Amino acid sequence: MLHALRAEWRREWVQLRRYPTELLSELAVIVLVFYGLFLGGSYMAGGSILGGRLSDIIVGYTLWTLSMMSVGTMGWTISNEAQNGTLEQVFLSPYGATFILLLRNVAGVVIGLLFTILTLFSVMAITGHYLFVSLWDIIPGLLMIASATGLGYLVASVTILMKRSQQLLNLLQFILLFLIMLPTASLGGPWRWLAIVAPFSPVVALLRSMMTHGAALFGTGNWLLWSVVNAVLWLLIGLLVFGLAQKKARRRGNLSHY
Amino acid sequence: MLLEVDGLVKRYRTKDRQVVEAVKGIRFSLAAGTILAFLGPNGAGKTTTIKMIAGLVRPDDGDVAVEGHSLSAASGQALRRLGAVLEGSRNLYWRLTPLENFEYWGGIRGLSRKMARERGRELMREFGLEDKIGSTVQQLSRGMQQQVAICAALIHSPALLLLDEPTLGLDLDASDRIQEYVQRLAHERGMGILLTTHQMEVAQTLADRISIIQSGVLTLEGLKEDVLARFTGSSYVFELAEAPSAGARQLADQLGAAWTGEQEFRVVLDRPTDVYDIMRALEPCPVVRVMRETADLATVFRAHTRQSVPVQSGREAMA
Ligand SMILES: Nc1ncnc2c1ncn2[C@@H]1O[C@H](COP(=O)(O)OP(=O)(O)O)[C@@H](O)[C@H]1O
Ligand SMILES: [Mg+2]
Repeated sequence: MLHALRAEWRREWVQLRRYPTELLSELAVIVLVFYGLFLGGSYMAGGSILGGRLSDIIVGYTLWTLSMMSVGTMGWTISNEAQNGTLEQVFLSPYGATFILLLRNVAGVVIGLLFTILTLFSVMAITGHYLFVSLWDIIPGLLMIASATGLGYLVASVTILMKRSQQLLNLLQFILLFLIMLPTASLGGPWRWLAIVAPFSPVVALLRSMMTHGAALFGTGNWLLWSVVNAVLWLLIGLLVFGLAQKKARRRGNLSHY
Repeated sequence: MLLEVDGLVKRYRTKDRQVVEAVKGIRFSLAAGTILAFLGPNGAGKTTTIKMIAGLVRPDDGDVAVEGHSLSAASGQALRRLGAVLEGSRNLYWRLTPLENFEYWGGIRGLSRKMARERGRELMREFGLEDKIGSTVQQLSRGMQQQVAICAALIHSPALLLLDEPTLGLDLDASDRIQEYVQRLAHERGMGILLTTHQMEVAQTLADRISIIQSGVLTLEGLKEDVLARFTGSSYVFELAEAPSAGARQLADQLGAAWTGEQEFRVVLDRPTDVYDIMRALEPCPVVRVMRETADLATVFRAHTRQSVPVQSGREAMA
């Protein structure tokens, strides 16, 4: 299994290196966004950096991009590999396609995270403004990416049956953005259940109370617990649905492009 | 037994909700060290059978076992023991080099990077392609790409290799190399190889055993020599000047006539003198020509596949 993870990792890396324009354009976006945030941040603070607020924005932005990556990667992989005539070979792996797709997602997230950290440090060095990002942010970050991976399997399921998923992805991004904007923590009554069950909702509430109210990870009421439940729930739903979709595609005999 | 295929059935539902019965209960086995060629016209169900053996298409009935590991019950164990090169697919990442492909495909089959590289180098050397190991796959010729795809399918040293139309659309040189190599794999290394082809020459030079598949049914199965010997010099074409009477036609049918038109049929005879029995049966219908066909595999195949009804079961053909 470790060999498979290394293989995924190497494949991503080789492709990035071989096609540096794609790598550079991706990097350029992150650098520009961060640079803009830093400039804006120091301007708003009247020359002195806005400290905590700015680091929150950067953490939020990074989590959002990594999560959206996890939502889209597996579906994109499937349609791309079906087009290129390699999907069936992936399905010949004795580890199973579900696992290989997960590895690919992990490899993508780790590379994305590395880029972000690298960029963050260079932007900090250039502007001379240093930020403090709490290491505790990693836990809600992981939970968010776990939920996103569950959604990613759902997108992958649609892709494997329909061979495309762009519209679904656009719609999903819109819904997720809406869910993130929702003031989940202050909702009452039946809406509270929505805040717990809807993807990303509890983890956003968790992050919010950590960031804006400076609460410690374990001092956020039940939000940490609900975030774990939510992540596990969406991951399980994703795995279950993808298992069924895979079976159906095999029954139809159209794993590749038929 | 290396591969056992037990009663595979596949019905597809098409977009307009019709049911296509692509494979109708196929049963055969393949021993180590043997090359089995699946011959059949387009749409006969060759690709569907190969994909069911690789677990890419789910059968409606039946199962496959590779070295005793059932595909439905222990797919991981079965998949470890097989490699496949599929038709109409690239089977490789074109943006990567052969070596990088080997590292990847080996990795997701549980090989370490070091092992995948070593094995990949060795395989490429055997094809005489070691100097291409560092160019991206898209820069290679079609024939080389196919050879690299075969190397990638062999990276984890499987016992069974599935090849769907392996030499289709390749130049002669690449086609020869692949055929030579496949024979070495089976006869020197003891691998089992199942290939599909509609190129008779390929089956004739390559195969140890031959199965003819028509409309999802295996209609003839046996050792290549037996299949050929059975037909050599004994396949005749009869062309008549007019359609014979129903009675004459029935008599000819009893002697094994396979009609390819109203006034033409082929027949496989046990003894050359049986020709006269047929002539007597046809009397008084005027005959335009009677000709003995030289039976290479192509004739056997053509004669056999033109018959609408399977004339012999696999067991008889092997006798
Ligand atoms: N995924 C599919 N959905 C519906 N029909 C299919 C599918 N795949 C193959 N078929 C049909 O099944 C039959 C057998 O096809 P195939 O196995 O590809 O034959 P061959 O490889 O011998 O040419 C054909 O009639 C083909 O149209
Ligand atoms: Mg085919």
